[in-house]
Amino acid sequence: MTAGRVRGPSGPKAWAAVIAAAGLSVLAAGLAGPRGVAVARPPASMEFCKIYPTAHVCAASPVINCTTCHTVPPARNLFGEQVSANLAPGVARPLSDADYIAALPAALKAVEALDADGDGVSNLAELIGGSQPELASSRPTSARCTPGQPRTAAGGRWNTCGYDPAHAYRKVTLDVCGRSPTRAETEAFRQLLPSESAWRGALADRLDQCLRTPYWLGVNGVLWNLANAKINPVDSIKAGPRAGSIPLADYEWDYNLFAWLNTGDRDVRGLLTGQDFVKRVSDSPPTFEPVPEEGMRGLRQAGQTVPRDKRAGMITTRWFTTVNTMFTPIPRTTAAAAYRQYLGLDLARMQGLHPAVSEPADYDSKGVAAPACAVCHSTLDPLTYPFTRYDGIIRNNYNPNRLKNFVRTDGARVVEAPEAGEIFGQKVANLLEWSQVAANSDAFAQKVVWDYWKLMVGREPGPADQTEFTLMWKGLKAPDKFNYRTERMLHALVLTEAYGRP
Amino acid sequence: MRLLALIALLALLTAPARPVLAQEADPTSPDPRVKFKDGERYLRDLAESLEIPRSAICLELSRYDCADKAFRIVLGGVDPYDIRIMQPLDQASLASPIAFDRVALQVCSNRVAKDKADPATAVLFKPAAGRPDAAWRAALTDRVYDRILRRDADEAERQRMSAFLQGIEARTGRSPKGQADQTILACFALASSAEAAFY
Repeated sequence: MTAGRVRGPSGPKAWAAVIAAAGLSVLAAGLAGPRGVAVARPPASMEFCKIYPTAHVCAASPVINCTTCHTVPPARNLFGEQVSANLAPGVARPLSDADYIAALPAALKAVEALDADGDGVSNLAELIGGSQPELASSRPTSARCTPGQPRTAAGGRWNTCGYDPAHAYRKVTLDVCGRSPTRAETEAFRQLLPSESAWRGALADRLDQCLRTPYWLGVNGVLWNLANAKINPVDSIKAGPRAGSIPLADYEWDYNLFAWLNTGDRDVRGLLTGQDFVKRVSDSPPTFEPVPEEGMRGLRQAGQTVPRDKRAGMITTRWFTTVNTMFTPIPRTTAAAAYRQYLGLDLARMQGLHPAVSEPADYDSKGVAAPACAVCHSTLDPLTYPFTRYDGIIRNNYNPNRLKNFVRTDGARVVEAPEAGEIFGQKVANLLEWSQVAANSDAFAQKVVWDYWKLMVGREPGPADQTEFTLMWKGLKAPDKFNYRTERMLHALVLTEAYGRP
Repeated sequence: MRLLALIALLALLTAPARPVLAQEADPTSPDPRVKFKDGERYLRDLAESLEIPRSAICLELSRYDCADKAFRIVLGGVDPYDIRIMQPLDQASLASPIAFDRVALQVCSNRVAKDKADPATAVLFKPAAGRPDAAWRAALTDRVYDRILRRDADEAERQRMSAFLQGIEARTGRSPKGQADQTILACFALASSAEAAFY
C-alpha cells in the first residue's frame, strides 16, 4: 500500500489562497494609496483579450497573466509603466473598475507603437507575436524557413520546412501506441507518400489502431495520466481494490469516466454534464460500459452516490466531492478546482474574474467581504453556491437541506446561502445549469484542446501555433467539425504543422 | 564492476581529445519540436529491437524496472499516488542524462551477454572468425543501426563507426571478449544518441 497525502483545507489550494490573499492585501493597499502608487487591476486580465483577441496570449485562454503588465503585482514592469502613464491621465486615483475598463483601450492604443524594452520591436508586434514587450531578450520568432535555408535534414529523410507525413506517422505511433514504427511499417508508409489520400488514410488508420491500445487507454496509460491533475488521486483514502488506510472513495471510477468520455463517438462535455457511471470491463483490450442504475447498489460506496438527475460529470463524483468539498458548507475549493481543472482558469492567479453584484455575501462568516478578499470572492463565492447542496466526505450526496448541518459551526446565516449562483457573469439556478454554461464555454473547449496539444505537440501553444490552435478549439465546438468528439479533434491535430513538422 | 569498467572506457574514448564520433551538424529546423521519448517508450523500443522481453530488459539491482521504478521520474514518467507528480517534468532533471546513459549501457550489456550465452540466436554480438577486420566492423555497424535506429547507416556514419571501433580496439583487444566490449560500445553509442532518445 502506498502512503499518499490527503489534500485538505491546509493543502496546496489553501496555500495558494493565502498567497493570493496576501497579494491582494498589497493590491488593496495600492488601491487605497495615494496617486502614483502602482495598482494591479483584476479586470485587466479579461479586458485585454477583448481588446486584442488575436494576441498570442489570448489564443489559448480568454485571460492573460498579471505579468503582462506587472513584475509582482502591484509593481509594474516596463510595459505596464508605459500603459499606466497613458491611462486616463489627469484623472484622480484610484480609478473605479468601470473607469479603468473605459480608459484601458486608449491607453493600450497609445503605447502600441512604443518599444518598452528597447529591443527594436514595437509593443504591439510583441503582444501579437507572443513575445514579452517588457523583456529585451524576448522577441517574436518565426517558424518559417528563410530563402536559401536547407529544407531537409538527415540525408533528406525529414522536411524541416513544413509538414512531414513520415515524421507525423512516427510521432503518432510513439505518442499513441507507445512504440516506434518498425522498419517495415516505415518503409510501407513512405511508399504511400506520392499519394496524399493514401498517406492520410494510413495515418488515420494508425491513429485509430493506437487509440484502442492499453498504452493509450489502459490503467496508467496516456489518457489516465492526462486526468491525473484533474482527479488528484490520493492512495491513503482510496476505497475499492487496493484500498488505503482510510477508504473514503475510489478514484478509479473517475479515471474510467474520463477515458470513456474522451474516446469513441462521445461528447467530451460529459466531463461536466454527464450522468453515466462507467465500469472498466477489461484492460486488455481496454473496454468500458456504463453501469445500469439498478446495478449501482453495490458500487455506491466506492464511486457514485448522487442520484442520476443531480449528477454533473466529473465534478459530482464521490471522489471529487471527497477530496475537494470534504466537510465544507460553502466549498470554495471545489468550485475553484472545477474552474481550474476543466476551464483552465486559476482564480489564485486572478484568472476568470467576473465580479457579481453584492457579492461576496459571506454567509459562512469567513471574512471574505473584506476588500482585500472581495476582489476574488466576488467571483468565487457565487461560483461556489451551486456546489453547496452536494455533501463531501461520507455522504457524498445531493441534499437540498445540507446547510442546516453547519449552523453550529458556521453561524446561522449559512442556511441563507442560495443554490443559485453565477458563472462567467451568467446567473444559474443550480449546479446542473452551472455545468451546462461551463461545458459550452470557449474556456472549456480551449482547456480540452490545450491539454491534448501539450501532450501531443510536446509544449504549450506558441506564437507560431496560434492559428492552428484556434482552429482546433473552435472546431471542437463546431457541430459540423469535431462536435465535441476528442478523437475527431485528434485526427485533425496530427495533421497540423505544429505536430507534423520536424 | 564490469559496467563501471565499460563506463570508464567510454569516458576515455569520447573525451574531447578523441573526437572519433564527431560529425557535421545537420540543417536545423527553424522551430524544432522534438520530444523526449521517455523511459517507457525508450525501453519498449529497445525491447522490441533487441528481442528481450520488456519486463526483463533493464532491472536495477536485478529487481527494479529502470523506467517504471528506478528512474521513473527522471526519465519522464509520473507518480501521482506516492510523490504527487501528476505530469512529466517540463525540464529534464540533472540526473536524467545520467540515468539515460546508465539504462542504455545496461540494455546493451544485457543483449551482448545473451548473445554470448547463446550464439545461435545472437542479435548483436557475432564474433569474428579470425581477427576482427573491416568486414566485421561493417557488419556490426549494419546490425546496430538496423536494430537500434531502425534504418541503414549512411556512408559517413559507417566511416565514423568503423573509425570508432578501430579506435577502441587498442584498449579492448581483439579477443572475443574485446569484440564483445566493442559491440556493447557500438550499441551504446547509438542507444544513447539524440536520435534514439528524441522524436
